[in-house]
Amino acid sequence: MIFLIEYNQSEGRIVTIRNFDDSQLRQAEDSRLEIELALNRKGIDHEVVLMDAASEVDLRRTHRRYFENLRQILEPKPLRESSPDKNRRLASG
Amino acid sequence: MAISKSQIDRLGERLRHGPLNESDLRLLDDYRRSFAEAYEAVVRTIRQLGEFPTGRLAKSTDSIVGKLRRESLRLSQMQDIAGCRLVIATVVDQEQLIASFSTAFPGRVIIDRRDKPSYGYRAVHIIVEISEKPVEIQLRTQLQHMWAEVSEKSSDVLDSTIKYGGGPAKWRDFLAQSSKSVMVHEDIEKLHFEEVTATQLLIESREKAEKAAAEMIEHNAPEHELQEMQQQLVDLRRQIELRRRLTEELQGDLVRSRKRNADLLNWAISTLN
Repeated sequence: MIFLIEYNQSEGRIVTIRNFDDSQLRQAEDSRLEIELALNRKGIDHEVVLMDAASEVDLRRTHRRYFENLRQILEPKPLRESSPDKNRRLASG
Repeated sequence: MAISKSQIDRLGERLRHGPLNESDLRLLDDYRRSFAEAYEAVVRTIRQLGEFPTGRLAKSTDSIVGKLRRESLRLSQMQDIAGCRLVIATVVDQEQLIASFSTAFPGRVIIDRRDKPSYGYRAVHIIVEISEKPVEIQLRTQLQHMWAEVSEKSSDVLDSTIKYGGGPAKWRDFLAQSSKSVMVHEDIEKLHFEEVTATQLLIESREKAEKAAAEMIEHNAPEHELQEMQQQLVDLRRQIELRRRLTEELQGDLVRSRKRNADLLNWAISTLN
């Protein structure tokens, strides 16, 4: 799935987010360009980015900065354990 | 229409000096789109290896311009226009992925920022080139990732120079200490894994030796051979016990370093109040 995100860096928040199917890459790229041109005309400095992820959950895990505030990111979380299968592979490899 | 390298670099110079105009934004967009095939090829290979990265199909204009203004590189030299990211549990997983990606992408270049962090940023970046288009694969452990997200988000909302070593002194100190604390934790994690693996191998050897000793008794092996085997077993049991004790100590170290990381994060939260 493709995600087109317009992000206001200084406020640390998403302005708009749109989803596209994987088959709609061209359309997503066209939309990104439209947003960038419109922002440039208005003199607005926002980050516009196209992301590719299996799901929004995955995207939220690998790119928390777009979705969470600083306090949420700083909040200590339990650590995931290493996969035992991977450890076995590494040990035997 | 293909864009020549000199056109790209001239565009880079115009972006570096600004202001941005519409025709340059369109040209940059064409250039970024030209990475799609290389990106797809890299992500396809990674998925075939059973990993599911999140990708950035192309770096944002903002980030490209920022990088051109910060560094002296040419636009055609920028290696992270397209890239993807994998967040894995531990450094042990990270090592395993480096090995498997090195096999899958023979011409890859590995940039290891774990021992030599860039402004505290620690991760492994693998650059793969497909049809002369570089694609960057970022491999971050969950702790390296947490640190990077804190650095990026605080650059967004507190001070844009934090990511590159600037910003308020107390925040710089916090990031430096936190990066070091993650490094220490991951070093222990690696040692712990090595001890667990070594103990497992010793246990397997002990089991084999126990079986061999039982067979020797059954077949009335000479006394001196049996004694030799029993001595081997005593040595193995002693080594296993030592390793187990060391593993327990390392587990304790891991708990303490996890707490230290959490304390640093809680301190940072308290400064936001």
